Amino acid sequence: MPRTFQTGDTFTHVRECDRYRPIYYAGASGDFNPIHIDPEAAKAVGLGGNILQGLCTLGWAVEAVGVFVGDPGRVRRVRVRFSKPVRPEDTITFQGKVTAIQDGRLTAEISATNQRGEDVLKGAVVEASLE
Amino acid sequence: MALDKRFIGREYGPFVYTIGAEKLREFTLAIGGAVPGAGTPGEPLPHVSPLLHDAQAAKAGPYGDVIAFPSFAVVFAIRPFSAALSDPEMGIDIQRVVHGEQELEFLDVMRPGDVMTSTGRIADIYEKARMGFVVVTTESRNQHGKVVVTGTWTGVVRG
Repeated sequence: MPRTFQTGDTFTHVRECDRYRPIYYAGASGDFNPIHIDPEAAKAVGLGGNILQGLCTLGWAVEAVGVFVGDPGRVRRVRVRFSKPVRPEDTITFQGKVTAIQDGRLTAEISATNQRGEDVLKGAVVEASLE
Repeated sequence: MALDKRFIGREYGPFVYTIGAEKLREFTLAIGGAVPGAGTPGEPLPHVSPLLHDAQAAKAGPYGDVIAFPSFAVVFAIRPFSAALSDPEMGIDIQRVVHGEQELEFLDVMRPGDVMTSTGRIADIYEKARMGFVVVTTESRNQHGKVVVTGTWTGVVRG
């Protein structure tokens, strides 16, 4: 039974950046920048330790909307600003809110916060087709 | 980090990439929280859609085949962006670059066997708060000539 969506609907998606997730994501994506996989190299450039690829966090925001609409193939657009690094052992909570439904397309604003309540994304918006 | 604005407009590509079924699976599972081991990309967490990894379920679904996780597109569409950042004439230390902003538009689903051709250009270079910003726009077409993915990539070069 197809579900219906309304402006104001909310959803939550929680993802853990386990210790080796930046390495797994490097293998899958090809992004082997040392700042993601080598804590010492990341410290040497002032990052304090290795950080997750921002595009993995973006992927999780996309995933949140794919799960919400029930089909990842419906996601049409994503826009994010990376405001704070995600580090191994962080837990990221994505909270989405449908801000518009127009012409068969759903727009959701997404917040993404770590376990300290800090935003790791700013201005995140994901759109999905409903047709 | 002083960056030279004269590189605005420089183009990179075309870069050609054939989407492989196992690569799609690896990416889906890495995003989806699986823990890979020797010989296996691991098992997806329960929230991961079967349309992304289960051939049988996907065949009965709306696309008739397994589809790519949407942001799998970054695997190939990043190429013009990384080419710009590592352009020797730009003189950027890649370890000083962090990803600032990202926008992606997905105009169609992607399936195993699709051949994607990506091009990009430096759309902007500017400085803010003593950091350098490089903005690259990309376009990726499939083997039918259809634009499937567009991207706007912003790299931040820390001082």
